[in-house]
Amino acid sequence: MTSIEAIGRARATRRLNPTVARYLSAFRTTRGIIGLTLLGILVLAAVLAPVLFPGGYDQQGSTSLTGMSAAHPFGLDEFGRDILTRSVYGLRIDLSLIFAAVPLSMALGMVLGLAGAISERLGEAVQRLFDVVIGFPGLLLGICLVAVLGPGWLALFLTILISGMPTAGRLARAAWLSQQSREYVLAARVLGVPKPKVLTRHIVPNAMDSIVVNGSVWMVIGVYIEAGLSIVGLGVQPPTPSLGVLLNNGLRFVTQAPTYLIGPALILVLLALAFSLIADALNEAVNR
Amino acid sequence: MSNPTVVATAARPDSGRALLRVRNLRTEFKVGQGRVQAVNDVSFDIHPGDVLGIVGESGSGKSVTARSIMRMVRAPGEIVGGSVEFGGEDLLLLPEREMRRRRGSGVAMVFQDPQAALNPVMTIGDQIIEALTLHGTEKRTARGRALELLDQVGIPDSGVKIDQYPHQFSGGMRQRVVIAIALANDPVLLIADEPTTALDVTIQAQILRLLLRLREELGLAIAIITHDMGVVAEMCSRVAVMYGGRVVEQGTVEQVLRTPRHPYTAALLAAMPRLDDERLGQPLPAIPGSPPDPSALPPGCSFAPRCRFAEDGCRHEVPALLQVGDEDQLSACFVAQRGVAVNVTPAFDPVAVDPVAAEPVPVEDVLVEHRTAVDTDTVLEVRDLRVDVGSRRRGLFHRDPPVYAVDSVSLAVHAGETVGLVGESGCGKSTLSRSIVGITPVAGGSVEVDGEDVTSMGDEQVARIRSSVQYVFQDPYASLNPRRTVRQSLAEALSLRGLRGAELEAESHALMDRVGLRREYLDRYPHAFSGGQRQRIGIARALARRPKVLILDEPVSALDMSIQAQIINLLEELQRELGLGYLFIAHDLSVVRHLSDRVAVMYLGRIVETGTAAEVYGDPQHPYTVALLSSSPTPTVEERTREQIVLQGDLPSPANPPSGCRFRTRCPIGPLVHPERTICAEQDPELLPRHNHQAAACHFPGELL
Repeated sequence: MTSIEAIGRARATRRLNPTVARYLSAFRTTRGIIGLTLLGILVLAAVLAPVLFPGGYDQQGSTSLTGMSAAHPFGLDEFGRDILTRSVYGLRIDLSLIFAAVPLSMALGMVLGLAGAISERLGEAVQRLFDVVIGFPGLLLGICLVAVLGPGWLALFLTILISGMPTAGRLARAAWLSQQSREYVLAARVLGVPKPKVLTRHIVPNAMDSIVVNGSVWMVIGVYIEAGLSIVGLGVQPPTPSLGVLLNNGLRFVTQAPTYLIGPALILVLLALAFSLIADALNEAVNR
Repeated sequence: MSNPTVVATAARPDSGRALLRVRNLRTEFKVGQGRVQAVNDVSFDIHPGDVLGIVGESGSGKSVTARSIMRMVRAPGEIVGGSVEFGGEDLLLLPEREMRRRRGSGVAMVFQDPQAALNPVMTIGDQIIEALTLHGTEKRTARGRALELLDQVGIPDSGVKIDQYPHQFSGGMRQRVVIAIALANDPVLLIADEPTTALDVTIQAQILRLLLRLREELGLAIAIITHDMGVVAEMCSRVAVMYGGRVVEQGTVEQVLRTPRHPYTAALLAAMPRLDDERLGQPLPAIPGSPPDPSALPPGCSFAPRCRFAEDGCRHEVPALLQVGDEDQLSACFVAQRGVAVNVTPAFDPVAVDPVAAEPVPVEDVLVEHRTAVDTDTVLEVRDLRVDVGSRRRGLFHRDPPVYAVDSVSLAVHAGETVGLVGESGCGKSTLSRSIVGITPVAGGSVEVDGEDVTSMGDEQVARIRSSVQYVFQDPYASLNPRRTVRQSLAEALSLRGLRGAELEAESHALMDRVGLRREYLDRYPHAFSGGQRQRIGIARALARRPKVLILDEPVSALDMSIQAQIINLLEELQRELGLGYLFIAHDLSVVRHLSDRVAVMYLGRIVETGTAAEVYGDPQHPYTVALLSSSPTPTVEERTREQIVLQGDLPSPANPPSGCRFRTRCPIGPLVHPERTICAEQDPELLPRHNHQAAACHFPGELL
């Protein structure tokens, strides 16, 4: 083998897989860059929280419920704790929740959605199961889970996990149904490629596009589910902060300290914005 | 060509009377940072009563030319120069309001896809009336005029049809409606952009007929944009051949088809298989390489990299379109302009071509005598096959009645033999082929591969046997997974044969060599290839399983004209070397003629005629075969005068086939013309032998010639 050919091969293998390349192209658009930067800052702050705020989130002071000031940009809460500190620690909880629950939810949803490949009946049955989950509002599902498991991280995790699955499953099934009649899938079948291989090689990669986009949308919904459950007191329990818990407290003191809400709400909005921008950019990239 | 006066004199001596004068038209598309010249310095005239054919392959700029005339080029496209004179004014300079008034009443356009051109939620009557009232017809009189138009384009029961929706019409009828809308405001020029490409040959013949009749009756001038030289030969009085955004040759149809003066036209005509081909068993003189990418045109003549006459000058300077030979035949070729005849069929010799731009073409100097009798082993045998495509939807309480898209079909393919399967879309030929390879379930009958019945086997055995029947798909763009490299696509097939590592590598190299692709291409993704190259990859993948039979489902019909011959040659070469049996499905009768030893003609789920290719083409027994042969356009001027048999109506639905003979509702010798022939409606004709190998399912075989 000549060296030129060898070089050519090496260069070719280093060339990116087109699927990955497409996802990455999302982060070359303005929207993608802004979203990713925003998310990066938030994640960095959350990860570095113990370094940035070495005192922890439960450090109480003598004054309470002050407004915004230079020393405490988001103000102090009812126990004299710095709301900025608590917001960043709260962000840790939220990010840990969605980064754990959403990808798993999407993956499980996709697997269940493709159940039709095993048997048509099983596929139908799973879809009806999804109907049931969709029939429950996310909040109601959360309340049921809390009743069984008690409030806390686990109940939130499961709520997000379960409520995210049906959309991923539907998308995967739609992709499976449409891919089945594609000529390259037929070509694989004529070659005699075993069914599971056809699924993993030709169908799953094509289902990924919509599921990746959907996943980034669900990151936002996950944060809202956490906030929703925490606002009614069924989320993370005090003194541990989460964005939802902080909003809940802020609502209680809204007459005494109207600025209490602003800090945590701002972080929540920024987080949602970051994921929305990323989802948008990804959506554009996969449909390009 | 910067001097417009030269063009004016060169384009046509008597250009004073021209209805439409296009001069130095340029249209560009902005793509990324660059600009793509889609239409480059195009000039031609259309005279009253002319039928001008604008022919070219994909990317040649023919459709953009048509849209530029109508000023319907959308961003990022832009007309950047030239003039389009119509009725004494330059259409390109008119304000948009004025232009809108010209569209429809001066120049009207018919598009390729009648499905897309009609609004599905409006009745066709309302759509015609809309076209009329937009140009000032009174609402009260509009309906009457709409009825008149429907009659004019040959839609039966216009009084009923006028209140129907597009989905209630067949493709051919829809195209008639589109033509009616185009005619609504008495245009003097009709531009038809591939008006019959989406239609079957028998329907195409109807529509072409209609256009010619309208030209006579209304004194229309027509410009037909097409890729089909046959349509040009049948329809046109003048022709402009486009290549790489420029007109490379222009003249009357007789001039261009008889004595082409541009190497591209000449090579293209020589490379096309014909119905009356005498070159059977010989490779076609294919044009090497593929049509140029409009965004990366060569600096000189666009055709130079593929041209066997190309000289140094051709690669640096663009030749002007100048008069060559007699009267007003124009050619943009330096060589032809010097008086060299470019239309002599070459003694087939390899052409020095740019290795990057061109696809290698296997060169075959051995003439193989045509095979007629086939005494080899039967590798594929289909007996009384029925395929039900109706009862897929089953509810809880009911099951849809069966619809047999394939109804009792029997055929056999021997090793080293090509069986051509022809028929219109909807006749069941694709369903048949797909059920042979097991994609579509079989409702009855048997499929035997290599003497073993696969319909009654266990899964594992079937998988083993079935691999010896492989499939090449029509659309080379859809049949390759865009996310997998060629290497991965081939490895998928090869690994099923148990090959691994170095063995697999060696075999994929061998496959690439075999189909005439470079080994370095293995790591590319499908989007990096042209249509012809992709089809080569599709063939390589099918060969990877070492099949004995290849089912070729319209393997060349999605390819550009100049590429088709390459693939046809490749298929012939592979068959010779590997002794493959082919089941070749196509609607293009000349391609089937060139490749096939035996031919089966299918109509509405049944085979109506079989025989050797020579028999079926030379002495067709079934009236449907006769009509098919008569309807397919051939690129020769001599054929223009022949009497055409144009079938009436459309293919009936297989859900509700006619009683007795299925063809009787359209048959030119059946009860339609001879009411006393009740046998056609009462008895289903059997496929009975006529001559040696020939059999036809008709009560009155051989009557129509």
